[in-house]
Amino acid sequence: MTAGAAAGPRPAPLWGIRPRLRGRELGLLAIVGAAITVGSVALGATQRLAAAGDGTPSPATLFAPADVAILATYLGALLVAHLLLVLAGRRTDQVLLPAVGLLGGIGLLLMERLPQSLAGNLGGLARTQLVWLLIGVAIVAALAVAVRNDAWLRRYKYTWAAAGVTLLLLTFVFGRDVNGARLSLQIGPLTGQPSELLKVILVVFLAGYLSENRPLLVEESTRVGPLRLPPLPYLAPMVAMLAIALGIVVVERDLGAAMLFFLVFLLLLYVVTARVSYVAIGVAAFLAGGAVLYELFGVVRDRVNIWLDPFADAAGSGYQVIQALHAFARGGILGTGLGNGLPTIGGRPPIPALHTDFPLAALGEELGLVGVLAILGVYLVLIERGLRIAAAAEDEFRAILAAGLSLVIGVQAFIIAAGNLKLIPLTGITLPFISYGGSSLLANSVIVGLLIALSDRGREIKPPPAARRRFGRSGPLLGRAP
Amino acid sequence: MTAARPVAGRTVGIGLALSRVGLALAIAFGGLAVGAGYWQVLRSPDLARSPDDAAVIAAARHAVRGVITDRDGKQLAWNAKDKNGEPYRLYASPALSGVIGYSSILWGQAGLERAWNAELTGAVSADPLFDLTRKFRIGGNDPEALRTTLVLALQEQAATLLGSDRGAVVMLDPRSGDVLAMVSSPDFDASKVANPATSNAAFKALQADPALPLLPRATQGTYVPGSVFKIVTSMAALGSGAVSVSTTFPDQPAAEKTGLLVDGFRIRDGHHPATGSKALNYTSAVEVSCNIWFAEAGLRTGGDQLASTAGELGFGGPLRFDLPTAASQVTGGGGSFGGGFQDAVELANAAYGQGETLVTPLQMALVAATVANGGVLMTPRLVLSATNKAGTTGFSPQVLRRVISAQVAGEIRDAMVRAVSGSLGRQYTAGAQVSGLQVAGKSGTAELDPGSDPHSWFIAFAPADDPQVAIAVIVEHGGHGSTRAAPIAGALLRAWRAWANG
Repeated sequence: MTAGAAAGPRPAPLWGIRPRLRGRELGLLAIVGAAITVGSVALGATQRLAAAGDGTPSPATLFAPADVAILATYLGALLVAHLLLVLAGRRTDQVLLPAVGLLGGIGLLLMERLPQSLAGNLGGLARTQLVWLLIGVAIVAALAVAVRNDAWLRRYKYTWAAAGVTLLLLTFVFGRDVNGARLSLQIGPLTGQPSELLKVILVVFLAGYLSENRPLLVEESTRVGPLRLPPLPYLAPMVAMLAIALGIVVVERDLGAAMLFFLVFLLLLYVVTARVSYVAIGVAAFLAGGAVLYELFGVVRDRVNIWLDPFADAAGSGYQVIQALHAFARGGILGTGLGNGLPTIGGRPPIPALHTDFPLAALGEELGLVGVLAILGVYLVLIERGLRIAAAAEDEFRAILAAGLSLVIGVQAFIIAAGNLKLIPLTGITLPFISYGGSSLLANSVIVGLLIALSDRGREIKPPPAARRRFGRSGPLLGRAP
Repeated sequence: MTAARPVAGRTVGIGLALSRVGLALAIAFGGLAVGAGYWQVLRSPDLARSPDDAAVIAAARHAVRGVITDRDGKQLAWNAKDKNGEPYRLYASPALSGVIGYSSILWGQAGLERAWNAELTGAVSADPLFDLTRKFRIGGNDPEALRTTLVLALQEQAATLLGSDRGAVVMLDPRSGDVLAMVSSPDFDASKVANPATSNAAFKALQADPALPLLPRATQGTYVPGSVFKIVTSMAALGSGAVSVSTTFPDQPAAEKTGLLVDGFRIRDGHHPATGSKALNYTSAVEVSCNIWFAEAGLRTGGDQLASTAGELGFGGPLRFDLPTAASQVTGGGGSFGGGFQDAVELANAAYGQGETLVTPLQMALVAATVANGGVLMTPRLVLSATNKAGTTGFSPQVLRRVISAQVAGEIRDAMVRAVSGSLGRQYTAGAQVSGLQVAGKSGTAELDPGSDPHSWFIAFAPADDPQVAIAVIVEHGGHGSTRAAPIAGALLRAWRAWANG
């Protein structure tokens, strides 16, 4: 990595600032910038061709970014974030920012390409999304630079839990209904989806609780006849917290968030206890709960029935699922190219919630199978980096927190992607960093910012002079700080 | 950092659990990749070409559609522009309405215009390579012109012969599955549906017409087949070895007078005064169209065998064809007697084409074509080639499957020749004879509810020794097969010969 920088004479600290080069991050950001620029130019050329009709514009005017201001602002923001991380001088992860930057950039291109009137009150879909992305990048950078102490997270876990539940209750009482689900809360001019913020709070609480009680959870168990069940007394507070969260989410009809919370909880429980039996019990409970919800709630029944056979009501309830599958099919292997797919009927895309719930279908059409695989690959990179940070963490709280945060992103991406591809019933949840929407972008930015902060490998110890002489090279041979 | 309780040795456990969770997520994402591959590669062709696809619908509203021609290059459908400069379709003849359909901005598409909408508008290409590289081209939509298998002259001749009667004609080349003519009557002027100036009034009149001109009878009309179905029974019975050409049923002559008793139910037949008390063999039974013989042959063959042979011919589901087709059925199904038949009575009735048996005209043309082609059923097709700027994509004939051996096909062919030109058969099918062309055929008189005239059927192929054309004709309520359908088939075979001889 930056062995030279580590060994070389460091610049004199200026107001305590010790910059540290982040070569890999810069290199990856350059690739990301090039990819997004190529995408923007392709989109621009397509749009200009369509606008020109029969007359073909000259290549000079044809090949230019679709919207130079948006492109430059976004890439500039990524660069500024990188420079801030350089100035912070921490030995933190260098892959997360470029990976998230790529996903955000792809999402931004999609928003530029959709009808601007679809949503957004800051001058259209793309500009509104850009504003949220800028705030998101700022959050990532701020948390990555500033969060050095985790006591405020681990010490007040019940306070966090209470805040989360309060947030949900507020939504339930004062929230507005969107598409049959009570998802959004309006405070003054701001509307948001509290379940997005709640997922971060939930992981913080779980990390605090699980790390504190891990020995008990691993060693104790409740015996019921021949069965070894989890130690119920120690699980109770956590299960209660989860039940409250799930219950409220279900009452609010936010099924995607409910599934996300439950799966992340299960996976974290496995990480802590390494007991497959817990996961099996959890899956059984999940299926039983699903069956109960199926009987009780029309919305669950509808979603499952649409999933089983969307073509039964192709013009009605199954419409958008079928349209998404058609979009994937139209894309084929290489896609139609940005701006060339997604037919509009009467000026609107055939999938109403395209920008929030079906961005993968839209990208599947325009970027093809190749694009979908690339996007899935980037999510896998995010997960891998997150779990790696967890594995290298210096204590259990940080390990579980990092694992939980990365699982939230991975599981959420899986749930919505699988829903788009008709592998599981569709639930209204966003595709992290790509979907349109402020709450989702902000919450996921908090996650990535925390992950980068958690990845800090501390200060290097200068290798003793003897070692330098013997190996003739220098470098961070001694892994982590004491 | 706050002091965490040191639990050395367990951190290893977390590491292992973490890598397992990571593996699980990697597998889950692998599942997503497989899912994406399924929809974007495996299902891509049929979904993206579907007439219900949004891009296909959107393209159809503005695109200048590709020209459709018959197999000799005569234009069947082309474009004109209305006063706003928007393109609309013109069609060569109302005779084409049952197969080419229409394309209208107001009413969408039907027929070949609908089935090949994606290619005709250029939303997708018949050439997979062109589709793959579409994103690298300027002006992605490149409408394709279709050269069909049809012959305009035969199409018009068939419509003329059907006249004002309701019915259908399907004419195939049995060697390739090429549809030479496919007519549904009554037909309509699709140009009026396509023209924005007349579209609304024309289409609403067609919708209100009790004769159902919008129903493409050749592919979606299902009819009681009557005796033409005996050819299917022949394939099952001779093909399975249950009966041979020399099989006779001793009780058959007597049953001509009293009716054949099956499970307490009497199957009656028109009498054959000419055959008297002689027990008929297979060829004679076809020649005089003996219901009793076929009822007994059907019972001996069994419901399972009859249903499975029919299934190989395409019964039981939509046919593999360019246009959507109704399913033909041997039985209503659900019975426990074998093959879905309720009991012996239904099987015996079905064996000579009554019972619960229902067929499409296209299906019966394929039955005749299978015999004609030595027992090999070709996939029927309507499009020879598609041409766009990138070039022409040709489609080859495709064998669907061998249904019966060449020997059994020969035996059935000989019987069908006798049915047209034998001393007894001639009485029924004289209208189908063509001088200088040996025709093999079978008439059918599909008995319906009492008080309504039977459907008149005829299926045939020619020349019998080297079949190049197969045909199915039905005239709804046209009376005996000999009165309406057979003469139409004969006239069309003469027209075919004139066309084939150039």
